[in-house]
Amino acid sequence: MKIKLNTQGIFLPFAALVVSVGLVGAVDSTFLKPSVLINLFADMSTLFLMALGLTFVIMTGSIDLSPQAVAALSSVVLALLLPSWGYLAIPVALIAGVAAGAIAGVVFAILKIPSFVATLAVGGITASLTLFMSDQRAIQLDTQLRASKLDWAIGDVFGLPNEVIVAAIAFIVMLVIERATPYGKAVRAVGFNEFAARAAGIRLLWIKLSVFMVAGFMSALSGIVLAGRLAAGSPTIANEFLLPAIAAVVLGGTALTGGTGSVLRTLLGVMLIAVFRTGMNFVGVDVLAQQIVFGLILVLAVGLSINRASSETVK
Amino acid sequence: MLELKNIVKEFGAFKALSDVTFSVKPGQVVGLVGENGAGKSTLMKILNGVHQPDGGEFTLNGEPVALNGPRDAAKRGIGMVYQEQSLIPILTVAENLFLGNEDRFIRYGRIDWKAMGKAAQRFLEQVEIDIDPFTETGTLSFMQRQMVELAKVLRLQDMTDGDLYILLDEPTSVLEKEEIEILFGVIRRIRDRAGIIFVSHRLDEVIEVSDQIFVLKDGETVRILDKAEANPPLIHELMVGRSAAGSYYRESERRAPLDEVVLEIKDLGKEGEFKKVNFDLKAGEVMALVGTEGAGIEPVMRSIYGLETVDSGQVKFRGKDMTNPSCSEAVFAGIGYVPRERKTEGIIEPMSIEENVVLPNLPKMTRFGLIDFPQIRKATNHLFGPLRIKAESRLAPCSSLSGGNQQKVVLAKWYNTGAKLFLLDHPTRGLDVGAKEDVFDLIREICGNGAAVLLIADTLEEAIGLSHRIIVFRDGQETARFDNTDPDVAVTPLDLVGNMV
Repeated sequence: MKIKLNTQGIFLPFAALVVSVGLVGAVDSTFLKPSVLINLFADMSTLFLMALGLTFVIMTGSIDLSPQAVAALSSVVLALLLPSWGYLAIPVALIAGVAAGAIAGVVFAILKIPSFVATLAVGGITASLTLFMSDQRAIQLDTQLRASKLDWAIGDVFGLPNEVIVAAIAFIVMLVIERATPYGKAVRAVGFNEFAARAAGIRLLWIKLSVFMVAGFMSALSGIVLAGRLAAGSPTIANEFLLPAIAAVVLGGTALTGGTGSVLRTLLGVMLIAVFRTGMNFVGVDVLAQQIVFGLILVLAVGLSINRASSETVK
Repeated sequence: MLELKNIVKEFGAFKALSDVTFSVKPGQVVGLVGENGAGKSTLMKILNGVHQPDGGEFTLNGEPVALNGPRDAAKRGIGMVYQEQSLIPILTVAENLFLGNEDRFIRYGRIDWKAMGKAAQRFLEQVEIDIDPFTETGTLSFMQRQMVELAKVLRLQDMTDGDLYILLDEPTSVLEKEEIEILFGVIRRIRDRAGIIFVSHRLDEVIEVSDQIFVLKDGETVRILDKAEANPPLIHELMVGRSAAGSYYRESERRAPLDEVVLEIKDLGKEGEFKKVNFDLKAGEVMALVGTEGAGIEPVMRSIYGLETVDSGQVKFRGKDMTNPSCSEAVFAGIGYVPRERKTEGIIEPMSIEENVVLPNLPKMTRFGLIDFPQIRKATNHLFGPLRIKAESRLAPCSSLSGGNQQKVVLAKWYNTGAKLFLLDHPTRGLDVGAKEDVFDLIREICGNGAAVLLIADTLEEAIGLSHRIIVFRDGQETARFDNTDPDVAVTPLDLVGNMV
C-alpha cells in the first residue's frame, strides 16, 4: 500500500524527466554523452543543495524566500575570512547561514508572522548585510587558497566532480533524516496537521523553527560550493536561484500545503530543472529569458500537484 | 412520497448498499439507524443527489427520478441539514439563508435588504428562534446556528411546488439535553409541511421523535419498525446482529482503585473559564467530569495537557509539579489525551495507522538516533488484535478508516506510550454501538493496568456507567460530587442534571 502510493506520486515527475532527457538528446545527441551529463550534475549541485533545505520547510507547509540571500551571505563570509582564518572560515560561513535561518524561524514560529513575510523580510535584511559586508562587489578568492582549502568542494575524484559527491552526501543524510528519524516523521506530521502533531507531543515550535535552520545550513553550503566554483564570494552570487529552487521542489511533487513530499522528489525536480535549463541552452534560449520558463513551470507544477484537488480553497 | 426500492450502490469492488428499501411521506418523521459503515451516509448522499444509485428504483410521488447533485435535489424539495455546519460565519443570518438565491430581492440592481430581512424573519419564526436576521452568524451559539441551518432548508418551500423532504444528519450529537427538546419541538411542528429523515446514533432520541424507523445493516434494510414496537435493545440487536452484552458499560470489570495518587489538582483557576477546582485521581480510577457546554470541564482537561494555561492553582502529576506544561512535557511525563475533535487533534489522516500510533513514542523507539522499524512493527501488530482495529494493514492511511477505527487508533497511540493518565474527551462521540463497547472494554483494561482516567462522557448514562467518581460542574465551579461505587446508592442522571443547571 505504502509503496504503491509512493510510486504513484513519483511517476509523473520521473516520466517527465525521462521524456525531457530523450527530447533534448534527440535534438542534440552530444547531450547524452557521459561527460556532458556529469557536468550537468556538477552544475546543478548548488541548486540541489539549496532545494534540499527548502524541501523540509515546504513539507511543514511553510515557504522560505531567503535561500539565495543566505547563500550569498555565506559566500561573502567565506571569501572575507578564508585568507586569514583558513578552514575555520567554512564552519563560520555555515553558522552564518544557520543563524539567518534561525532568525527567520523565530520571526515565523515565535512571533507568528506568516513564513513568506518572515523570510522575505529576513532575506532582505540578509541581502543588505551582505552588500554592506562586501562593499557591494565580488571578493575574489586567491587561486592557491581556493585550491588548497576548497578542493573538497570543487576538485574531483576519478573524474567525478566533488560537487556531485558533496550533493550526494547531503542528499543521503537528508533522506535518512526524513525517512528514519523521529525528526523526519515530526516534520511530516506538522505539515499534515499541526494540531494533531502538537497533541501527540511533538515540539511544534521547535520543528517549525528548526526547518528554517536546516534550510539556512543547506543554503550556506550551497553558497560555499558556489564561491569555490566561481572563485569569489559575491552578494549577487545566487541571484536567479530562488525561482528554480522552489520550482524544483514543487515539480518533484512536494505539496506547498505541507505533509506530502520528500527530498527524493526534490532530486527528481532538480534533475528536471537542470535538463530544462541545459535544453534551453542547447536550443539557444537567452539566459535571462529562462526565468520566464521557470515561472511557468512553477505555476504548472503547482497546478498539477496532487493535493490541490482535495483542498477546496486557495489562499 | 419519496421511495427507494432495492437500491444498490457500488464503489469499485466495494458494495456500500446492496438492498436498501426506504420511504418517507410528508407529515412523517422517519428514523434511520445503523452501525458506522452500515451505509447510512451513502444512503443520505443518494437522497441528496451526491451519489447516483447503481441499481434499484428511486421515485418521487411515483415518478422515477435521477438527481444531478444537491442543487438538483433542492429544486425537487429535498434538502439536507449538515452535521458539520455549512453557514458562513462573517455573513448575517439573512445573507446565509438566501446565499446564491438573492435574485428575488434585487431592486434596481441592488439588494433590497429590508425585503430580505422580512423573508428571513418568516423562516426564523418557523424554527422558533428569536434572533435579528441581520446578526452576524458567527456570533450565534451552536444551537442557534443549527436552527438557522434548518431554516435554510425550509426555505426550499418557496422554490418547489411539491413536498419538502428534510434530511437531518446527527443533528443532536453536539446539542445539550434542553436544546434537543427545542429541536424536537421544531421537528414536530414542521412535519406538517415536510417529510423528515432523522439520522442519529442515539437510539432513545430516534425512537422518541420518529414515527417509523429503518434499521440498516451491511448495506441492507434489515427491518422497518413502527414507533410502538421499537425499543433500544431491539434496535441494538438488529444493528449489530447480536444482543447487547448484559453489562453495557462493563460494570462488572470495574475494580477498586489503587492507593497511588496519580493526579492532584489544587485550587486550579483560569479567568472566565473555571475556578477553585480541586480533586485527586488514583491509579486505576475513572473520574467523570460532567457539566453543560461552557461549564468549564473541557478547559480543565485541556489545561492539564498543556493546551490551555491556568492563572492560578497547581497540578501535580505522580508527585511532581506539572502546572502549565507543554504538550510534549505532558506526553513525556506519561499523560495521553484523546481529544473531542478526532480529525483535527486526534489523528493525522494522511499518515498510516502505524505512524499515528507510534508518533508520541518515536523518540523512545530509536537505535543510534534512527527509527527502529522492526520494533515499531512489533508494537503496532501487538496492538491490532486486542483493539480490534479493522484495516487493510498497519500501513493503510488513517483516512481510509471508519470513525470508530480512527478512534481506536487514537486510543492505541496512548496505550502504546504506556501513559499513566488518560484524558478522554468524548471518547465515544460519533461511534456506533459496537465500537463504543470496544472503547468501554479498553477503558476497563487501561484501569486494570493501573492507569487513571479522567473522562468527559458523551452522555450522563455513560459517565455513570464508567466512572468511580463523578464531579458536576456549573459555570466553571464544582457543584456536587458523587461516589459511584457505593452499591447501596445508585447515582441517576437526574441527580446530576439537578446540579448542572
